[in-house]
Amino acid sequence: MSGLTYTMLDTAKLSTAEVYGQALCELGAEHPEIVGLSADLAKSTKIGLFGERFPERFFNLGIAEQNLFGVAAGMAKAGLVPFVSTFAVFTAMRGLDQVHTDICYQGLDVKMIATHAGLSFGQAGSTHHCTEDLAIMRSMAGLTVLAPADGLETALAVRAAYERKGPVYIRINRGFDQRVYEGAHPGFEIGKAVTLRDGGDITIVACGATVWRAMEAAKVLAAEGLEARVLDMHTIKPLDEEAVLRAVRETRRILTVEDHNVVGGLGSAVAEVAAGSGLSFSFKRLGVPDCYSIIGLHEDLMAHYGYDENGIAAAVREIMGRDFEADENWDDEV
Amino acid sequence: MSDDAYAARIFLRSALPLLPLVVEARPGLARGFAGSRAVFQVSARLSADPGLREAELRILGDCCRGADPAAPRAGTHFLVGGGPGSEAPASGGAGTALRAAGTAPAAEAAAEPPLLKTVPGLHPAPELELEFGDLAALDAFFRGRPKGLPKIRGALRGPGLFLSVLRSLLAMGALLGAKEPPAEPGEAALVTRLYLSLLSSGISGLNKAGHPEAAAWARKSPDRVYAWEVEGRPELGAYVRVKAGNSRSARGPWLRSRPFFAMRFDSPASALGVLLEKDDMIAATAEGRLSMLGAPEYGAALGELMKLVGRYAK
Repeated sequence: MSGLTYTMLDTAKLSTAEVYGQALCELGAEHPEIVGLSADLAKSTKIGLFGERFPERFFNLGIAEQNLFGVAAGMAKAGLVPFVSTFAVFTAMRGLDQVHTDICYQGLDVKMIATHAGLSFGQAGSTHHCTEDLAIMRSMAGLTVLAPADGLETALAVRAAYERKGPVYIRINRGFDQRVYEGAHPGFEIGKAVTLRDGGDITIVACGATVWRAMEAAKVLAAEGLEARVLDMHTIKPLDEEAVLRAVRETRRILTVEDHNVVGGLGSAVAEVAAGSGLSFSFKRLGVPDCYSIIGLHEDLMAHYGYDENGIAAAVREIMGRDFEADENWDDEV
Repeated sequence: MSDDAYAARIFLRSALPLLPLVVEARPGLARGFAGSRAVFQVSARLSADPGLREAELRILGDCCRGADPAAPRAGTHFLVGGGPGSEAPASGGAGTALRAAGTAPAAEAAAEPPLLKTVPGLHPAPELELEFGDLAALDAFFRGRPKGLPKIRGALRGPGLFLSVLRSLLAMGALLGAKEPPAEPGEAALVTRLYLSLLSSGISGLNKAGHPEAAAWARKSPDRVYAWEVEGRPELGAYVRVKAGNSRSARGPWLRSRPFFAMRFDSPASALGVLLEKDDMIAATAEGRLSMLGAPEYGAALGELMKLVGRYAK
């Protein structure tokens, strides 16, 4: 299957999932209790890099995802820290019972790295898309859910996941992500969003692959005179409620963007917090519009469903034109 | 000619409405109006030339409300004690009951007319009226360079009201015409409040009047609030909200969100230093007496509009 839409020059700048594999190798070198598990997808998910470095600590369970997570749970019970890597669609659905009962219910120290999330494997078809995982994993009690924006943030998320006791779900793409953090990361902390850009007109809350797109949209909008704040909400659970409430108070308009169904994911999480504030605000969710995606390349699918940079900019323009109810008194106070 | 109309709009719609604030802050002035039920008005006749008159009507907007179409004028009137015919409640009325229940603000709203209330436009039968021959004469008077006195109607019938109005206008003129910031903190706070209210109302008024610079700024704007703030003294501030050509000015803080841009002074003294051009704005910013909260290019645009109001209202 072809899926490379970038030139040789682009690949020099793109952050790949290999960063995750490298980060895991570094972590594995520091901590001998770390083990890697895969369901015959080591090459695709890049955990194979860990396997090459530490073959005695890497286990391929074959195409048997339920067993994969069951074994991971057993290893965690024995004092190891398993990093389990497979596609997001298999983690969130095929192995969900084991994730729920064996791992989350028992609060075990298992780190699930779910790759090819969202529509990033668009050309593989709907069986390999995963636009439900954030909704599912958000509802697993005790599970930390991360959606890093690029390779650097993924590496930091992997390290933060190791340091956080209990189960962690990290959602990443197929590997060909645009780089959001060109230089150093301002500081990765689970549960704390990163304000990539400040602005007073509207807040765009994005996660994963859509963060770069939100920043591109913000640049376009700035040229038109609209100042958008962009939040990299890399932690879906626990959500940075303070950042959301600050956005409601200070900008009164929120647009969420995710490579996920609009139902149950980042948008829903933000709405839950914002609605609880008691303040009036304008709100819109961008993502896959509660349907099974058509087949295509990731960038084309995001454009098709209106959550690429152009879709984000158009949504912002639409929100800026909305009126707040009972707020149209234009008489000067005397 | 348009400049006369724009200036008149600022005096009628932005400066004169500050009178109740001055009276409220000065008990001596307030006593002069206490117990009265009357209307006094400041007005000016519009141009006899139909073309100029049309432009003046457009610029002055609701200041011309209630005018005789045959001899249009522009003005602002004030209801003293709610105006004639309004009665203060006898004891035992709704206001008393609400006060007893502890809901004092509701009691105030329900029962007590304000001592002085500004109403844009013309009243059909004011007890006292100061009428200027044209807009230029009104402008000159309020700029402190009168070209003659206005026609005064009702001074002899109600000398008490006339004297109270005259004293209040003189007091307001002294405050707004101050060349130096007052030393007394209460006075400095009052002048700050007057100036910031004047600026926000002036900018919004010029937009509503269709002034090219102000209207272009407002027309392009998404829903934004520009605020002037004094640290620790929210009651002294003011703001103007703009959206796609509409604008609204108001006193006090904008509470519904963070303003898109705010000019924040660390004290009334700092505010007056900048507003009376005694202090260099850049030095004030560098030394922390003035903070610009928001992108500087928006501050620059706001600064230009503030200067525009200042040019008309000087």
